[in-house]
This record gives sequence, structure tokens and C-alpha cells, in this order.
Amino acid sequence: MIDWTSWLSYDFMKSAFLAILIITPLFGLMGTMIVNKKMAYFSDALGHSALTGIAVGVVCGIPDTNLSMVIFAVVFALLLNKIGSKSTASTDTIISVFSSCSVAIGLAILSKGGNFSKYSGILVGDVLSITKQEIIYLVVIFAVTIIFWGICFNWMNAICIHRALAGSKRIPVRLMDNIFAVLVALIVMMSIKWVGILIINALLILPAAASRNISVNMREYHLFSLIFSVFSGVLGLILSYYTNVATGPMIVIIASLIYFLTYFFGKKCRE
Amino acid sequence: MKNKYAFVAVMLAAILLVGMGLTNIYVNSQKGDEKEEELVIVTSFYPMYIAADNVVGDVSGVKLVNLSEPQTGCLHDFQLTPEDMKLLGTADIFLINGGGIESFMEEVAKSYPNLKIVEASKNNELLLDGDEENAHVWMSIPAYETQIETIAEELGRLDSDRSDYYKENAARYLEKLAPLRERQQKIEEAAAGQSVVLFHEAYDYVAEDYGLKVSHVLDLDEERQVSAGEVSDVLAAIERDQVKYIFAEETYGKSMGDTMEKESDVKVVYLNPLNRGEYEKDSYIEGMSKNLDLLEQCFLSGE
Repeated sequence: MIDWTSWLSYDFMKSAFLAILIITPLFGLMGTMIVNKKMAYFSDALGHSALTGIAVGVVCGIPDTNLSMVIFAVVFALLLNKIGSKSTASTDTIISVFSSCSVAIGLAILSKGGNFSKYSGILVGDVLSITKQEIIYLVVIFAVTIIFWGICFNWMNAICIHRALAGSKRIPVRLMDNIFAVLVALIVMMSIKWVGILIINALLILPAAASRNISVNMREYHLFSLIFSVFSGVLGLILSYYTNVATGPMIVIIASLIYFLTYFFGKKCRE
Repeated sequence: MKNKYAFVAVMLAAILLVGMGLTNIYVNSQKGDEKEEELVIVTSFYPMYIAADNVVGDVSGVKLVNLSEPQTGCLHDFQLTPEDMKLLGTADIFLINGGGIESFMEEVAKSYPNLKIVEASKNNELLLDGDEENAHVWMSIPAYETQIETIAEELGRLDSDRSDYYKENAARYLEKLAPLRERQQKIEEAAAGQSVVLFHEAYDYVAEDYGLKVSHVLDLDEERQVSAGEVSDVLAAIERDQVKYIFAEETYGKSMGDTMEKESDVKVVYLNPLNRGEYEKDSYIEGMSKNLDLLEQCFLSGE
């Protein structure tokens, strides 16, 4: 038998555990709204923009790539919202254009001189990279998100259901959209280094999508999403430690499993 | 809808159990694999790994692992991660260069008092920088040969079953190093006595090898800012000793080297300090013979 507590003897596992305990509830929470607002593609594009954020940091000589990533992602998110609301083309076309353009720029800069291998770690993520400082950032974002949720959830929900109607009730639709996009950008950027660009979106989407399979009201929707998110995060971290695979993919595998099981259960219930 | 909550609970419990069960099976099967490799040798950094790789060769039952990444270079400001400590926990022998370059050794000795430590430079006479030892021994070909002999001897002592293999492999490697040594001696005859300026403390050993006089050392190994005063010190030294050549490392010394070439008639020779590269057995030989090419151009091609 394996000693299932041995992972706690390493400091890096403790900080990873702490980070997961903070970030997975956020993923669960934000995920519900992202799924409702049909923004899955948007958050995916945000994840990809991390590459460009790093590249911009490298070019401008900013030593802390976290900073350049966050700044770039916030600008990127706001720009997407702005153009998305003005342009005549459909949203997914706009996002696709932005996303591929920013990835191309990021790749072009980072692969200069054949050096991309230095950055390939960010594609799959690395839990060892979590620092004390990043945990503090996470706590701050956690607090901000919870407060935002408490105050603005009803407005957000109204916007989701009917934009024009919400606008007529004097709900600041544009502002809410922007704040939400910025929050998503912050959360994605703070966790991308250890989750990995390739799968960060799955973590946002899967718990909420699985929860949607079986819940009938908002309260259940949130509750199950939170449970699934935290559960797959913690179990994924521990299993990845013992099997020596990257943590992000392990979490996503578990979350996908939950999605499929709830899908079949939900289907059976409805019949 | 009570059964929904039951379903969620059962589902999560099932995933938990299956996940833990599979992991258990996987970890146990991994353990079975590891048993075949009886001896784990961990090396501290790149040059040590290459040296050990040549001495250990294809001997079965020995696993050779490098602690740091091949691109880490010298370990001057290396921080041990928990992963590194975990790796050292599985090691039987830890091969280090010595001379203080592994600054974390105290920590290691405290955590693993039973780990056998082989110091490759223990039979070498280290040059001194003030009070500190200069650890870049591998830059001198004869000193590197001594290191190889020491590694083979020490490994043979700790792992007596395979000591013949180690000796054989070391002898074969030394044979490959012999031509380099011959070239070095030829250059030495022509170059001895000339003055050089060094931009990397590792090249102290190069200067020693060729009987060159070191007129000034500006250590650009770590990314640091150079003050204008230091630059003028170097220029003064070049003037004073009629220095013709500066030995520098491309990565850190390039911009400084360009400045020097502009300011004076000196020529900057970019030598490879051989402390990073790919995990290839012959990388030392290849890197060193490129260095020799450069030095031959300077000192042999009739001036």
C-alpha cells in the first residue's frame, strides 16, 4: 500500500494544495456563469493570450512575467468585449481572429532563435512553480470575486437571461460584462502556470457543465459545480503526485469523468 | 430529487476509490521496475554528468541522473527544490565537483548523512581566487583527466563489483582525451608567457594550462552590472601588459567584449566554459576541441 499522506511532507505540495483549495471554488463559481453566458470560447482565447503576455514581458524586459501576463490579458479581454459588441461579425469569429492573432505573435516572439523549448512548460503547467506570493494574489482575487458575486450576481443573472430587458431595468450591462471578463482574465492568468495553457479552459467549463447536467435550479447548479471542481482539483493533485504526471491534465481527466457520468445520469432522469 | 444527491455521493466515492486503487497498482508496478537498477548515481551538474556518463558507460544496473538541468550551467546560485531533495533521497552515490561550487552541500549532508559523496576534484590542486577556491577545474585538460581517474577510482571503491568496468571505461575516455592534450601542449609552447585578460573565472584554468599570464580578471559569469570604473581598469590592464587576447564567454561576455574590441586593439576569444549543453557523451571533447581551434588560430597561425 502507498502512504497516502506522504505528499504533505513537501512544502511545494502544501502550497499546491493551498492554491487548489483557493482556485477550484473560483473555477466552479465562474464556470457556472461562463457556461450560462456561452463564453467558453472566450475564456479559451484568454488562456491562449497568456503566451503573448509572456512574450510581451520578454520583449519589454519585465522580469516578472506574471505582471505582463495579467496586464496583457486584461487589455485583451476588454478589447474583445468592445469589438465583440460593435462588430457585425458573430462573436466566435471575432474571438477566433483575436485568439489566433495573439497566439501567433506570442509564438513568433518566444520561438525566436529556436528557444521555444524554454517556455513549453507553460503549455502543460507545473505545480512546483507555485510561489508564496502567487498564493497571496490568489487569496486577493478570491476575496474580490466573492464580493463581486455577492453584490452583482442577480444583475449578472438577469443579463444572462435577457440582455435588453436587463438594460431597460437600468442594470449596467456593459460594465458588468467588462468586470466579469477582467475577473476571468485574472483567474486564468494566476493559475495558468501550473494548470497549463492547453487545458485551463477545461477546468473552468467542465465542473459547471457537469453540474448543469443534473441540477434544476441556480442553487444546485452552484453547489454541484463547486463540489465537482474542488473534488477533481484535490484528487487530481494527489493522484498526479503519486503517478508522476502533470497535475493539470490529471484534474481535467477526473473532471471529464464526472461530466460523462452526470451526463448519462441526467439523461436517464429526464426520460 | 433525493436520489440525485445520493448519485453524486456515490459517483465521487467511486471515482475516489478507483483512482486510488489504480494509482496503488501503478505505484507498486513502478517499484518492481526500480528494483532492477541497484545503484543510483546522482551527479550535481552538467560537466560532472558528462564525466560520469563516460566512466559509467553502459554498465547494467546503474542509473545515472543529473540533479540540475543541462542548461543550468555552474551552480553558483542554485537553490535545491523539494524535488531535488527527493531525488537525492533515492541516490546511493552523489558525485560532485567540489571546490565549493555545490554551495548546497551542507544542507544535503544534514538531510542525508548516509549518502556517499564522491568529490571529483579531491586529487586536484585548485587555483585560488583570493581566499576562495576556483572550482572550474574541468577547463584544464590535464586536471580533467585527473578528475576522470578520481571518479573511476572512487566509484570502483564504493561499488567494487563493477570497478573493472569503471576503470576500463575511464581508460578508454582518457585515450580519447589524449589528442586534445597533445594539441594543448603545442599551443602552450607558442603561447607561454603572453598576457591575457579573462572575463570568466573558469578561464583561470585555461591560462594555467597554456602558461599564460593573467593580467586582469573580470568575472562576468553571473548576470551583473559592470561599472565604468571596472571597464577602465580592464583597459588600463590591457595597456600595461600589452594584452592581445581576452577570453570571454559568449552568453555573458559578448557586449562587454564588443566594447573592448572597439576601445582597444585587443581580440576577444569566445571560449566555451563547457558547463552546459546536451547530454551527449562526447560533448566535452567536442566543446574542448572547438576551444582548441580558436586558441590555435590565435597563437599558432603565424603572426
